[in-house]
Amino acid sequence: MVDIQKAAPKSSSKSPKNQTHIVFSWSQTIRDCLWIVALAILLGGALNYTLLLDAIDGKLIAGIQQKQLTDLRQKAEQLYPGISFIDLVSAKKLYDDKIATFLDARTAPEYQREHIAGAISLPIRALVLGDIELDKVLPSKEALLITYCDGGECDIGLELAKELSERGYNNIFVLGEGYPGWENAGYPMERSEPQP
Amino acid sequence: MKLLHNDYLHLAVRLLIGGLFLYAGLPKILDTMGFASSIYNYKLFPSPLIGLTAAFIPWVEVLAGLALVLGVKVRGASLLISLLFVVFIALAAISAIRGLDVDCGCFSGVERKANWLAIFEDLALLGCSFFIFYFDRLRVSPIALIKKRNNPDKKEALQ
Repeated sequence: MVDIQKAAPKSSSKSPKNQTHIVFSWSQTIRDCLWIVALAILLGGALNYTLLLDAIDGKLIAGIQQKQLTDLRQKAEQLYPGISFIDLVSAKKLYDDKIATFLDARTAPEYQREHIAGAISLPIRALVLGDIELDKVLPSKEALLITYCDGGECDIGLELAKELSERGYNNIFVLGEGYPGWENAGYPMERSEPQP
Repeated sequence: MKLLHNDYLHLAVRLLIGGLFLYAGLPKILDTMGFASSIYNYKLFPSPLIGLTAAFIPWVEVLAGLALVLGVKVRGASLLISLLFVVFIALAAISAIRGLDVDCGCFSGVERKANWLAIFEDLALLGCSFFIFYFDRLRVSPIALIKKRNNPDKKEALQ
């Protein structure tokens, strides 16, 4: 409990006989902290032991990525029903057949750092602000386009697909796994040379 | 300076910070994977640390928030909350410096980016938390009111 102790009687007549005041004690404060932390560990550990086991086994990251992708697809279904997703294998086939154009929705510096080999940089912000002449970058409205960003954790690939769809491009897919999924699959990437 | 020792100001700040942590922590307990996902987005932690943080931190937030609201273990709770704020500020600063555009994961369903604005807000809240810690006064709290009811002789002291 918090330190509430009886104060020593004061000479002042204003001091009530039984006045309580709080005496600071680091040991008591640390004990209180530990008490809260111990209870949190007990409750958190009991209710999340499967998550903790997954974390120790290294399965948690894959679970998180899957959840993020599912959330992104649900968001797309609710907000942009016309936009379709494409899986990694199908995207790679279109890439190998040189049928699809890959569009990177991230910022230019992020694109320069690393991107899917052959992808075009089309930052969503610059596009919306009118800094990009879309007709020059993508002259054909019928072209097969695949947008991507950082994976399930970001939605700008989805927003780019929606923006392009509204501008008359009608053959667009979103690569939900983004460039991290592409990279993890061992597919071709391009990276900028590290500065000396 | 007299204002800093006001019981009702202390109560208001305690309820604000306690309520804020209850509001922040409860949804994370109900959606632990969602919170784990927010931590993962910072790209700073390995899998075991993400799991430990997602499992325990929401409970620390809720228990510390509850302690502040109820007026029990106030100094310990406010010290823990201050430490959490220091960690949040450090994380937001690292993300801002790295130029990451990530949601801070502070509140479920509320989009709040880990940027300089979030850092200033957290600094203000850290100040509130430190105020509770430093000027710990328990004269106005549910526990104090119960004590007052059970022990009318101390009425004057608990007012």
